[in-house]
Amino acid sequence: MKILRFGAVGLAAALVLTACSAGDDAADGSNDASGGTDGAQIRVWLVGTDTPDEAREYLTTTFEEENPGSTLTIEEQSWTGLVDKLTTALSSSDSPDVVEVGNTQAATFTSAGYFAPLDDIAEDLGGDDLLPGFVKAGTWEDTFYAAPYYAGSRIVFYSDQILGGAALPTTLEEYVEAAKSVRTADHSGVWFPGQDWYNALPFVWENGGFIAEPGDDGAWEAGFSSPGGIKGLKQVQDLMVNASNAPKDGDEAELQVPFCAGQTTFLSAPNWIRWSIQAPADAEAPGCADTFGADLHAFPLPGATAGETAKVFAGGSNVAVATKSANVDLAKKALTILLSDDYQTILAENSMIPAKKSLVSALPDDEFTLASAAAAANAELTPATPKWGDVEAQKVIQDALVQIAQGGDVETIATELDAQIESILNG
Amino acid sequence: MSSTMLRPAPPGAAPPPRATRAITPTRLLPWALLAPSLAVLVVITGYPLVRMLWLSVHEYERAQLLGVPAQFVGLDNYVATLTDERFWAVTARSFAFMLVCVVATITAGTLVALLLMKLGRAMRLVLSVALLLAWAMPPLAAMLVWGWIFDTQYGVVNHLLTAVTGESWMGHSWLISPLSFFAVAALVIVWGAIPFVAFTLYAGFTQVPGEVLEAAQLDGANARQRFFDVQVPYVRTIYVVLIVLSMIWDLKVFTQIFVLQGIGGVKSETSTLGVYIYEMGMAQGHYGAASAIAVIFTVLMLAISAYYVRVTVKEEPL
Repeated sequence: MKILRFGAVGLAAALVLTACSAGDDAADGSNDASGGTDGAQIRVWLVGTDTPDEAREYLTTTFEEENPGSTLTIEEQSWTGLVDKLTTALSSSDSPDVVEVGNTQAATFTSAGYFAPLDDIAEDLGGDDLLPGFVKAGTWEDTFYAAPYYAGSRIVFYSDQILGGAALPTTLEEYVEAAKSVRTADHSGVWFPGQDWYNALPFVWENGGFIAEPGDDGAWEAGFSSPGGIKGLKQVQDLMVNASNAPKDGDEAELQVPFCAGQTTFLSAPNWIRWSIQAPADAEAPGCADTFGADLHAFPLPGATAGETAKVFAGGSNVAVATKSANVDLAKKALTILLSDDYQTILAENSMIPAKKSLVSALPDDEFTLASAAAAANAELTPATPKWGDVEAQKVIQDALVQIAQGGDVETIATELDAQIESILNG
Repeated sequence: MSSTMLRPAPPGAAPPPRATRAITPTRLLPWALLAPSLAVLVVITGYPLVRMLWLSVHEYERAQLLGVPAQFVGLDNYVATLTDERFWAVTARSFAFMLVCVVATITAGTLVALLLMKLGRAMRLVLSVALLLAWAMPPLAAMLVWGWIFDTQYGVVNHLLTAVTGESWMGHSWLISPLSFFAVAALVIVWGAIPFVAFTLYAGFTQVPGEVLEAAQLDGANARQRFFDVQVPYVRTIYVVLIVLSMIWDLKVFTQIFVLQGIGGVKSETSTLGVYIYEMGMAQGHYGAASAIAVIFTVLMLAISAYYVRVTVKEEPL
């Protein structure tokens, strides 16, 4: 019945258009890009709270200084249901101008013409200095549509008060054993909610498994049921069942809450969650700066063999200009600011891996960032196909992991999961 | 000359006056009064319906939304839907869930209506206000609150169960098994639907003449007999309408299931038709396929509604 929405959008669009043609001189966004840029308003959609306030302010001020008369508004969106929301918004006549999108979601939009080509300003944005994996994620059929915004990776947090003097694990197997050994009825060795598929992937990759790869005939073959995949998922099940008290069907939102409640020894989470943990206890989103946050430490997830870090999921975002933006040229200017050295340096100083390789030196010299950089060096992406977005939208991996968390038979679940992934990617 | 010749002609031409009578104000008035609502219906329901039918016979994906021409595929989307196991599983699940919800809603609504009849003035007012508040609560807000009540880690239900039974219920997930997921969903939906059913039935029950009930009592009918043999037949048509409306509402339920899926549970085992259409269309961008499912769904709903319309029309002939 959601189809009804199209009608509503159409009606709203009709109303907007009439309002503009009625001679509203202040009407801004509805003018042609060529028709003068005076008084235009650029809307930038940033997702989640990851972008620090300092960066937001820099973007608004710089843009309005460089483009007198025009204004820039940042509208914060939520990661939940982002693909649905972007689809609706980007195809409407009231489209935002610049949008942030998860790196694994970019292909859904680049392949369908939702983003304006950026080839003409690729050099201004940073050219070869941009993170190659993210440029690849934002490129479709040799056209560059979505620039890297920032990257990050998951690292393992712990608090000295809880871990005590115990030695840190040096291999993935030791990590599993260490987490299992400290688990009690109300304390987890590692906090592992059933839907947290980002944290399950390293186990699959480290044991030689894979998500999906193109076969000889060009069709995608999924690899969760490969020998390595099964081995990895069994490790995941061992952790979920024997080391974690997290909800078996929970997701990876608000991970600082159990950590700050002292309910877990290890917490594998994006590096910037450090700020959530070390927020004051009376903040709007409370952390525990004075208790478990006071002696917070982190290390990169160890790999299968000692001395190596595990392959982890390359998290991060891309930014793009909407095809339907009323002011593509101005939007591109805003995008250039997002990718400017000054702006990216602010992100780097806040422990987010910048979109430009040359700015890595701006990263703070603390253990969280170093751990994150070490993990990022070994980061992997999801399969490069626009249909990957459907796999995420259907939550097939999450559903399979929830069953694994409940102690289901790993081989059966993995075989079914692979069949589902293959039918989506090849369908 | 010719003009004088023509002059008598107008009075002689009899039909024009009759034609003007055909559009006298009294004949136009009903249409004029209907026009605003018809216009709204055409825009809000008519156009999307036509659009949905059009979409369902085209291959319409995300790219088409931006203006790439859509390809006509005939009935392919329908064939794909009707041969898809998932569609049948979702449909069967939706109907089963609807049946449980309707039975529970009507039963509980009847009991509350009877309670309203028996209560004194003050308590009846309190109960009415409580019912109204439950009814006025937006489904989304209600779902979030119910979600917290059944929360795995910090939920009130788990806390109470732990306190009462002495065993640890903390960490028990209510949404992880489809059966208990739907039990929670049904609880919330029935909770939200009771007020309307209770008020409507209460209104109906108050119209049952007291002397008939008294006569039945004098003839030796007990409370159960008086209810089933006197009160229910009096409000039979109200029951029919309420049951049909509940069937429609519970079949197209979306918000409650969608929000619960966000809180926990396994998506593939808990989707109902409304959510399935959303997943197919909005989440995955297969608008053509989603429209085909929506058309099939609409036909199902129309079949149920047709009965409702017939009953209503019989009640108050136009």
